[in-house]
Order: sequence, then C-alpha cells, then structure tokens
Amino acid sequence: MSTALYPLASLEQIEKTPSREDGIPYELEEDLRAHGCKLIHEAGILLKQKQVAVATAQILFQRFWYVTSMKQFGIGDIGMGALYLASKLEECPVRMRDLINVYDLLQQRTAHTRATMIASASAPSSSSHPTKEFRYTPMSYFGSTFYDLREALVIAEMQVLKRLGFNVHVVLPYGTLVNYLRVLGLTDRTDVCTRAWGYLNDALQTPVYALYAVPTIVCAAILLTVRHLGIALPSAPENRWWELFDAEWEDLWSVCGYIMRLYRDRSIEDRTRVMGMLSKKGVRQWLDEHKTVDPQT
Amino acid sequence: MNYVQLEKLGEGTYATVYKGRSRTTNEIVALKEIHLDAEEGTPSTAIREISLMKELKHVNIVRLYDVIHTETKLVLIFEYCERDLKKYMDVHGDRGALDPTTVRSFMYQLLKGTAFCHENRVLHRDLKPQNLLINRKGELKLGDFGLARAFGVPVNTFSNEVVTLWYRAPDVLMGSRAYNTSIDVWSCGCIFAEMISGVPLFRGRDNQDQLLHIMRIIGTPDDRTLRKIATEGQTDSPAATKQYPRYPKIPFQQVLPKAPHAAIDLLERLLQFDPAKRITAADALSHQYFTGSVPYGLPAPTPGSMAPPSYNYPHPHAHQQQQISQQQQAQAQAQAQAQAAYVQAQQTALVHGQPMYAAQGDPARMAQAQAQAMAIAQAQPQPAPAGYAMQYPQQYAAGAR
Repeated sequence: MSTALYPLASLEQIEKTPSREDGIPYELEEDLRAHGCKLIHEAGILLKQKQVAVATAQILFQRFWYVTSMKQFGIGDIGMGALYLASKLEECPVRMRDLINVYDLLQQRTAHTRATMIASASAPSSSSHPTKEFRYTPMSYFGSTFYDLREALVIAEMQVLKRLGFNVHVVLPYGTLVNYLRVLGLTDRTDVCTRAWGYLNDALQTPVYALYAVPTIVCAAILLTVRHLGIALPSAPENRWWELFDAEWEDLWSVCGYIMRLYRDRSIEDRTRVMGMLSKKGVRQWLDEHKTVDPQT
Repeated sequence: MNYVQLEKLGEGTYATVYKGRSRTTNEIVALKEIHLDAEEGTPSTAIREISLMKELKHVNIVRLYDVIHTETKLVLIFEYCERDLKKYMDVHGDRGALDPTTVRSFMYQLLKGTAFCHENRVLHRDLKPQNLLINRKGELKLGDFGLARAFGVPVNTFSNEVVTLWYRAPDVLMGSRAYNTSIDVWSCGCIFAEMISGVPLFRGRDNQDQLLHIMRIIGTPDDRTLRKIATEGQTDSPAATKQYPRYPKIPFQQVLPKAPHAAIDLLERLLQFDPAKRITAADALSHQYFTGSVPYGLPAPTPGSMAPPSYNYPHPHAHQQQQISQQQQAQAQAQAQAQAAYVQAQQTALVHGQPMYAAQGDPARMAQAQAQAMAIAQAQPQPAPAGYAMQYPQQYAAGAR
C-alpha cells in the first residue's frame, strides 16, 4: 500500500522478457537496454537536467522492457518518453522542443558513428583517408521531423505510464549509499565514495534497479569498490557486513555481475549492430534478417 | 465505457468532472475527464493524482476506483461526494460558520486523512475547503491530489509553487523547498479557523501580502527563527535578506471569540510559524480537543471512533443517540479494515529488505489478491483499464498497439 514500495520484475518476467519472446537474444537485449540508457544519460547532460530525473528515467526505461518487447517500441522513443515523464515526476520539466532537438542530435550522431565504424572496418587502411567529422544538421522549424518526433514522444510517455500501470514511484540509491558508507566508516576515503557512487550510476544502465531492492544494489557497489581498492571489511560467517544491510551474498554477486558486464569489450559488429537498432524498424529488420538462423523458428 | 455519463459537475484547468453511473452496479461515481494535450503530453497533475491515489485507501480520502485510458483522453473514476466543504459551509453554516460539533467532527476526519497520507509518505500540498469533499453521510474526504507528491529520503528539493495562497505555510511563502508534512498541517490549521468563523483566516493578495497577513495575527517570529527558515530555502531566495515589520501576537481567542479553549490550543499548535514546532497530524488527533470531555451535550467519543456529524442535528435528540452509535459502529468497522490492510502492507514492506526471492514473490502475491479484488469489483471486462497491480500489469504485455 505504501508508495515506499517500488515494483520489481517477477521471476517469470526475468526468465523470459517480451523481447526475448520475440526472438531478440539475451545479450542483444542487454546491450540495447544499456545503449538506451546511455542516450538518456547523454540527453540529460545536454539538457542540463538534474541527475534525479535522469536516474528516474533510466529506471522507468528498464522496467518498461519487462512488460514490452523492443519489437513494438524503439529504445530511442521510449528513452525520450521516459526522460520526459521523469522530468515531470521530479518537478523539473523540460520543454518538448528541447528534448526533441537533443534526441535528434543524438540519433544523427549515432548514425554517423555507426557509418564511420562500418567504413573503417571494411577498409582496414582507414588511417590513410581521414574520417569525416560529425556535423549536426538541425531540423527545419516547420518540418515534419519535429511533428513526427513529438507524436512519438507523446505516445511513448503514455505507453510507459499505461504499461507500468502508473507505478512510476522510483527510489534512488544515493541517500542509502551515504548512510552505509557512514556506518562502515568509509566516508573519509574520497576514492571509495566516488567509486561507489560511480558504480551506482553505471548500474543505471543495467536492469538491476528493476530487479533488486536498493540496499542490495548499494551493497554491490560498495563490494566492487572495496574489492578494487583492496579494503578489508568484516566477512567472517558470523559477522558479514552486507548482512547488516539485509543483503544476500548471491544477490550481491549477481548485481556485481550485471555491472561488470557493462565494461566488457564489444566487437565492432556488436557495437554497430546495436547502433542500428535504436528504432523498432531497425529491430524488425534485424529480426527478419536473422529469422532463418534461429533454430527455434 | 462501463459508465453512463450524467450531468457536468465542474470544470477545472485540465479536466472536466461529470457525475456518472456504473452500468454494472448502478453506483453513482464522479468521472474526471482529462484531455491529453499534444503540447505537453499527459498532464503531470494527472500522473501524480493517479500514481498516488491508487495506493491511498482510507475512509477520509476520496477513492480512485479505476482509470480508463484511451487515445485522446484519460478518465479517472472516483467515489462520488455530494459537495465540497466550501459549499457545505455556505449551505449549512451560519454565515459560513459551522456549529462546534460539526467543526470537531470534520477537523478530526481532516486530520485523520492527512495523517494517513503522511504515514504513507505522501504530501497533499493543496489542502483547502474546495478540495475537501463531504458526502451524504457526513464523511469528509481529501480529494484532488493533483499537486501531491511522494516523499522519501530528502534528497530532492521540491517546487515551492504549491498550495493555494491563503492556505500556504509561511516557510513555503519564504521560499523554502525543504518543507515536509508540516506544510499540510498549516493548511489544516487555516481550514480549522475557517470552519469556526466562516471566513478564511489569512487572505493575502500575493506571496508577500500573505506573509504579512500571517504575521499580523500570529506575530512576527524572532530573527533567529526567520533566519533559520530563510536559509532552509535556497540562498538565492529574495526572502533571505528581507526585513519584516515586527507585529505582536494577537491571541486566537480574540480572533475567534466563539471557539472553546481546547480548540484555541489545538489551533495554536497547528499554526506555528516555525515548521519544526508545528504539531504532526497524528499527534493532533490525540489532542484534548478531541479526547477531552465535550461541553455540547454529546457523549465523549473515544479517539478513533468519532462519529460523523448527524445531519438531523437540529432535530429531536431521541433518535440521535441511536443513530450515532450505529454510525460509530460502522466507522469503527471501516477503520479496523483500513488498519488491517495497512498492517498487511507494512509486513510486506518489511519483507522487502530481505532475501530477493521472497521479496519478489510477495508483491506478486499482493498483485494477485488485488487483481482478484478488481475482478470481483468490475464483474465485466473493460476496454483498457490501467492495471493497478503492485508489479507490472501483465495484461499490457499482450495488448499490442
């Protein structure tokens, strides 16, 4: 009943997301989710939007893909809708036109980067002929691009609301992190604080906020931090620091896995593949091309 | 739609409200029709109202039964109430002033609803007589959550463009964004005084004038308090450096000569300039104004079982006694139910901090129970109701667009 409760995905939804139901492989979905969140993040920076709104948008975006397939809606549109909605929820609304301009720029830039990467991959001697620098072409004021994007934005916002059943309450992890670091006596170590804070922000590109309770995610960020910096915390069986915060080791480990997978190297094929799938059109095209390869269909 | 639209009840800035009747149960409801705008998408007031009200189930809060979402509009289906407190005062009051028994009953219900919101981490932020609805049974219900918001760990600063001017707390007027539940308590105090006297207590023309109106009655606080409140707002706030005229405090007894002592004492605690000193809604409920012996010839009700006012109040006392005990019973029952539901929710909340699998299982079970309850309540399938499950509504996964 309390609004302090935030919805988490069910086991069934985790095992088979709607996108995978439609034939999108697990890793591809993971990469597309991460890419959509990166776009939200970049848009947030360009709009000088508050981090609370950006983080809220990313969490809503992640939740959305547990009820909807990427074949039905593109990650670009939904990311834009989620950011618009989150800005309203956090009482720092953005202008539609600003948001649309920013997303238009980001999409053009993605297309440019993708084309450059494909070109240099096919011609390995790319160092000889210089790559063209990205130049943004603003949309015309009365052109159809704006109206198309605006319609997509309104629909995306409404769909996020509708499909999440207006469960748009989000709990952000930052306050909890400060508390836990205080309890562990780590607030004097700036390197610990910044690193753990960074992991929490990076985790926004993974689905963990739609899967685990905030204390678990915060503990995972602290765990990664202390492991990397070589700081010992009590972990004898009768005295485990994470149990103080009601987190389970298995869950911590799983969250750490989600975060660390973000940093792995992707091949150029993987990266360009994701960049070509910002819209549902790109996803559908990819699915059509790979239909025969999938042994299940 | 599963509802027949009847006459128009009112028109707001972003919505039109109609009376409606359910085709299945014949129950009378209020239909709030929100037009979706291509310029701004779904209005944030509607988003707030739905996301918060669907969780708040209490006798003293208007119930949101359902939401119907179509391409062009959003219809919210609410519990129907006859009139708002403003109109009630116009019709039943003596030049607006209500009789002491009614004031006490309404005040109790107002604080009860407010305390419930706060317990559930929701700030209403727009309490005023127009937003308090009274039904035929004399029950008072908080409505219009268009400005409400959830609050948690205070990492956010909120907008200070909230609450209709006359009911706005002085700290908000001074630019504070770090306000909390005390903002609603101030509004409750203003409404309390208004029910007693029939006229709004502080009637300012603008932000600054409103602040002066407040100071003229409750007195200008000392510099330390002023500075403390000013710095709680942003430093760039213009109020931070302002000088205020020094007004002495006027005793409320002088402003409201009709009010009994206990009422004055409660009002005093509700209308504290310093938000930190303001009583909480929950504590106000056990104030002696509600618990003490009553000089109005009615039996003193035990806290938590206060009856709504009887509408045949001016009529013979013979039936009254009986009726009141009946109403008391009914309300006690409703409260017990609400409490049971709350306890259940609390338990679920506790589970959340524990092993993940248990935590994930639990909302799912709740969702199931809710879905069942909805299914029973609705009997007939609806075109596209928003799913109110705690977890993600499964039905949308199938509904392609």
